[in-house]
Amino acid sequence: MGSLGIRRWSLSFGVAAILWEAVALWLDNKLFLVRLGAIGQRFVELIQSGELMADMRVSFIEFAGGFGLAILVGISAGVVMAAFKGLRDLVDPWVSMLYATPTIALGPLFMLAFGIGYASKIALVFLTCVFPILINTLAGLKTTDRTLLEVVRSYGATPRQIYFKVRIPAALPFIIAGLRVSVARALVGVVVAELFGARAGLGFLIFRSAQSFDTAGLFVAVFILAVCGVACVEFLKWIEIRLAPWRFNNMDEE
Amino acid sequence: MSAPKLSTRDLCKSFEKDGASIEVLRGLNIDIARGEFVSIVGASGCGKTTFLRLVNGLIRPSSGSAFIDGRAVTTPGGEIAFVFQQDGLLPWRTVLDNTIIGPELQGKNMGKARDLASSYLALVGLRGFEKHYPHELSGGMRQRVNMARALTAGADVLLMDEPFAALDAQTREIMQTELTRIWSETGKTVLFVTHQIDEAVFLSDRVLVFTVRPGRLKEEVAIDLPRPRDLALKRRPEFGAHVDRIWRLIEEEVRDSIRRETEEALAAAQR
Repeated sequence: MGSLGIRRWSLSFGVAAILWEAVALWLDNKLFLVRLGAIGQRFVELIQSGELMADMRVSFIEFAGGFGLAILVGISAGVVMAAFKGLRDLVDPWVSMLYATPTIALGPLFMLAFGIGYASKIALVFLTCVFPILINTLAGLKTTDRTLLEVVRSYGATPRQIYFKVRIPAALPFIIAGLRVSVARALVGVVVAELFGARAGLGFLIFRSAQSFDTAGLFVAVFILAVCGVACVEFLKWIEIRLAPWRFNNMDEE
Repeated sequence: MSAPKLSTRDLCKSFEKDGASIEVLRGLNIDIARGEFVSIVGASGCGKTTFLRLVNGLIRPSSGSAFIDGRAVTTPGGEIAFVFQQDGLLPWRTVLDNTIIGPELQGKNMGKARDLASSYLALVGLRGFEKHYPHELSGGMRQRVNMARALTAGADVLLMDEPFAALDAQTREIMQTELTRIWSETGKTVLFVTHQIDEAVFLSDRVLVFTVRPGRLKEEVAIDLPRPRDLALKRRPEFGAHVDRIWRLIEEEVRDSIRRETEEALAAAQR
């Protein structure tokens, strides 16, 4: 991001902050929209009491566990499915179906099955974000440019060499794009899983703030989640450009 | 002629399509001497590209064989390198790393391969571009890398499938003179497929004219123009005479092929 990007971002945030304050003053309803200053104050309080760090730690463990597991399983399953057509034909309908299903609806079921602790949250996060990773890995491995395959074959490449020297590197940008889609879904998974029942976490902070009419506390959690989401997505976008600059060459930078 | 570098005997190829068998090439007997530059021209659908693939071992003939130094070709790689119309450079690899792919796939000494690649990149005029990525190069430069890659693979025979077709007209002319220079400096045997008759005449010692499907050898035309050749040659009457002669050989075939393609498209549209 160049200086132009930074200018654009600060301008955008500045305008948003002014609008926020204006609407908050105009509404004058502390239950719906509190002034930014109040949110900042609540943020400091939550830090000082240690509550916020504890919530963030719990949510981070759920996020990292579920997302990490999804990366591991999604990529391996994609690789295996790309290699075995029979298996792919068998599993494909289920993958498409589960990808389209809002699996988050299974949250209450997971609470019953795995209890109120980490296991149920990690399971739900995993389920919400594994499919984009799997589908992108598979697509990346299946859509290798035929010219590239033909060229390395003409230089005597073995199937193994074709796989490791062409198919996998060609699929990497697809896989990263899959992670980018998944990371946002994983954050949603964390919050929703905690809403179904938890003892700590950012989602639980939202829940408990709402229960006690603490709108400022609710927004603290929402802002932290937003910052984490943007940071993750931007980081993955950065990796994607680093890894496959040729894919961004012909894009319209309007 | 001494023992040919590359030869084919009764080479035939048919493809299965929608249950019907389509005969693409029939009974090709061709001999190409070591260090010779031979082009193949013909109307579209004459099986020129299929012929190159057969000689390379990318596909197997229905009957007959292709031979390099008297040994039948069964698998790609080794003594033959293929230069495709699309450069097919791996976008995540630098120019140098693309150039050494042949030795790398064959498990050769990589240090030596790098030196060789650097010297061939210099030969094709790309000294100083080793660390660039393909997307940073122009089409003409990418085709130069494509050639350097084929040379680095250590092949004696280069099969070139319309390598300049995607380039603009001026770049193509420059690449033609470059190719004759590289060919004369390396002494490789080249089999070059093109649909441009003037390109074939300019580059070749001999031009093979193929008939349309099934592809057969219709006639071979020896190009006795002196070498080294430069672009001014294209304006000389004897150059024009060769081009005219070859054009007359394939004109009827080209018309037939266009007529057939139109009919097939109409038939497909009516279905």
